[in-house]
Amino acid sequence: MIAYERFVLDNGLEVLVHEDHTTKMAVLNILYKVGSRNEVIGKTGLAHYFEHLMFGGSKNVPVFDTALEKVGGECNAFTNTDITNYYTTVPAINIETAFWLESDRMLHLNLSDKTIDTQKKVVIEEFKQRYLNQPYGNAFHLVRDMAFDRHPYRWPTIGQSLEDVENYNRQDVEEFYLTHYRPDNAVMVVAGDIMLEQAKQLSKKWFESIPSGNIPKKTIEKEPVQIRKKSKIYTADVPTDSLYKVYHIPGRLQPKYTECDLITDILGFGRSSLLEQQLVKNTDVFATANAYVMGNVDPGLMVFNGKMEKGKTAEEAEQLLDQLVQDFIQTPIEEATLDKVKNQAEAMKTFEGVQLLNRAMNLAYYAHLGDAELYQTEYEKKTAIPAADIQKAAKEILTEENASVLYYKKS
Amino acid sequence: MTLDRSKAPEFKIPQNITLTHPNKLTLKNGINLYFIHTPHIDAVKLEVITEANKHLLPSGKALVPFFTLHMLLEGTKTMGSAEIDSFFDHYASEVNVISGFEQSGMSLLTTKKHFMEVLPVFRSLFTEAVFPEKELAKRKSQKELTISIQREETGARANQLYRKALFGKEHPYGFVGEEVDVQNVFRQDLVDFYQTSLMVNPEIYITGNLSDAQVEAIAKNFEDLTVLDMEGTLPDYDIYPERRIAENRDKAVQSSLRLGQHLISKTHPDYHALTVFNTILGGYFGSRLIKNIREDKGHTYGIYSSIGSLRLSDYWIVMADVQKGNADLVIDEVYTEIDKLQQHHVGTDELETVRNYMIGHFLSSFSSAFDLISRFKNVNQAGLSFDFYDEQLAFIRQFTADDVQKVAQRYFNKNGILEVVVG
Repeated sequence: MIAYERFVLDNGLEVLVHEDHTTKMAVLNILYKVGSRNEVIGKTGLAHYFEHLMFGGSKNVPVFDTALEKVGGECNAFTNTDITNYYTTVPAINIETAFWLESDRMLHLNLSDKTIDTQKKVVIEEFKQRYLNQPYGNAFHLVRDMAFDRHPYRWPTIGQSLEDVENYNRQDVEEFYLTHYRPDNAVMVVAGDIMLEQAKQLSKKWFESIPSGNIPKKTIEKEPVQIRKKSKIYTADVPTDSLYKVYHIPGRLQPKYTECDLITDILGFGRSSLLEQQLVKNTDVFATANAYVMGNVDPGLMVFNGKMEKGKTAEEAEQLLDQLVQDFIQTPIEEATLDKVKNQAEAMKTFEGVQLLNRAMNLAYYAHLGDAELYQTEYEKKTAIPAADIQKAAKEILTEENASVLYYKKS
Repeated sequence: MTLDRSKAPEFKIPQNITLTHPNKLTLKNGINLYFIHTPHIDAVKLEVITEANKHLLPSGKALVPFFTLHMLLEGTKTMGSAEIDSFFDHYASEVNVISGFEQSGMSLLTTKKHFMEVLPVFRSLFTEAVFPEKELAKRKSQKELTISIQREETGARANQLYRKALFGKEHPYGFVGEEVDVQNVFRQDLVDFYQTSLMVNPEIYITGNLSDAQVEAIAKNFEDLTVLDMEGTLPDYDIYPERRIAENRDKAVQSSLRLGQHLISKTHPDYHALTVFNTILGGYFGSRLIKNIREDKGHTYGIYSSIGSLRLSDYWIVMADVQKGNADLVIDEVYTEIDKLQQHHVGTDELETVRNYMIGHFLSSFSSAFDLISRFKNVNQAGLSFDFYDEQLAFIRQFTADDVQKVAQRYFNKNGILEVVVG
């Protein structure tokens, strides 16, 4: 486990402190419990766009980045379906500046019309760069839209369309800020060359006077159970066919999620995985193949994706994949396979721990799930699941009526 | 007492930054081994890097080093391809190919717990590989597919054309692999390269929580490798005759642009000033290019300039994907920003910001042992020592606006900057 101390301010801000005196740096990581799952149709992508605005200046800080750079620091952020996470790295002797900056933009963001407009343009270019100007770049727009009927996981975090981004207005932005960017909807992690007492004192000094939120979050629509297979053919000017097959799975903290995680570890993680060995190395249909779970808080997706060798079709690839999945369901999992997966889970924690920033982010992420201890207990749970349970879950999840398939075809 | 939020907290400039030097060991066969001990971190990284590369081969065989390295994991005299995959995965160890302009090699990422088990098998890759035909055929078709996908990506394509423009298409660094180059690679080429060229001046870099005995074991494992001391002749750069390469893509919704030129060697007295110039222009989020082209005009998601590291002489590149139709406008803005830095001193405020940012960034980029060894590798391969960074830091602490202006004037002339636009 990553060592930490925890306290909660009166306004509800949860603070975790991880001391590491082997470095002269410090990290201030603030996670807001808001992502694209909190968006509505017509205003998709707002959570991510808002992340851009958080760098647009606050009441006492005209230019966020310059104020931080002046003390030797750097800040960046990311948004996903569930969270928005801001991370600042700064020489530990100047950590107070990070407290000043983060608290000011939590208390009183100050947005000019120019910032609101320019960041729309920037996000539109980001949308194009990552999704529209890349071969297969829109695949997950299509997959999500097919797999989900009601839940906001229907669109990627960048947003459903460029039009949505173009149409946000000041009122959308202000309402979003006041609903989600409140201390009781955030987790703050202070890590690095800093003492617990100093972190406590600075947290109180800069954050305690920020009022808690009083606007309730909108309820998120539940996704109804899928009862029949969905499929879609999409044709584009790409070098080769690609297959995307996804299955609905439980949310991160629900029963059987961990089994699903293990299923994709066995099928798709590493060079010795079944997909790599059986579909890539031993057929002339798959050029690449991978499998993973999305890891969402609400029920999400298990994803199988592969690119076909030239001249081979996504449809024939699906047949081979289905065959492999059926074999997996019917053949008992070998002890050696489980040992491998356990070794990998253990090593992953070692690798993740190398960078201070990763440790801080992990603490914040698991605290947001409900308890930072989950970082350890999720791992322990994962490595204790017997083979039979994994297979049982596979039998339930990997069915045709639970699947959605995108045949991304070369024109 | 109410908190006065309008007042920024006091800050200090970090002093006394000292860099841990790696331990050096020279093996019996002359290989230098560099090691940094990480008492608190159980991840272990081992890299074997050689100077073998395309320049040792005829031009039609430029992809031979790439395939040779990737085939090392596809079978040895004692283990089949699937067996090797299972072995490394079982011990949660990753073996990756290192393939750059000037380097070839393999890296091993593992944990203290499994290190001693995986070491001999990792070592065997360097002498026992057998290059089976079946696996080679798969690798070749995968590579052909990658090449056709990259050709579709405006960014990847712009990078290729930039290399071609900077070094010339006959030069190994300017080489852009095509399907025909893949088809031209045969098993015997790999076997030959493996035996006669791969082990040119190898070096070993290790970071991890290893005991002296474990480092000794690494030394023992690698001291019997036959090391080649071979000087490949690198042809002179053959800069593309035209300053601009443009590839039009009707369907693209953005243009990928790359600007750049050759710079100077890391040993040149102006080098540190150029690093500062580059940072101010486009090297950090507060840079002139970000402020103008992203934050003011919204033409792009990101625009950055950077200095590419080569043994003899470095190069410079500006990269951005911009609104389609605005490439020329953005290129003109880049020139305007360079021009401003040539005509005017950087103001006191900006000077202070960039100076403090660079000191903080310096401290940060040396803060883990794994970062440290890669910084060390950079200078070591250019024949320099950690003194390079000590001098760099000293320079950052005291440079003046005049230093920046001088290098801007001395090294940048828009008529000498190459332009690539795809999209």
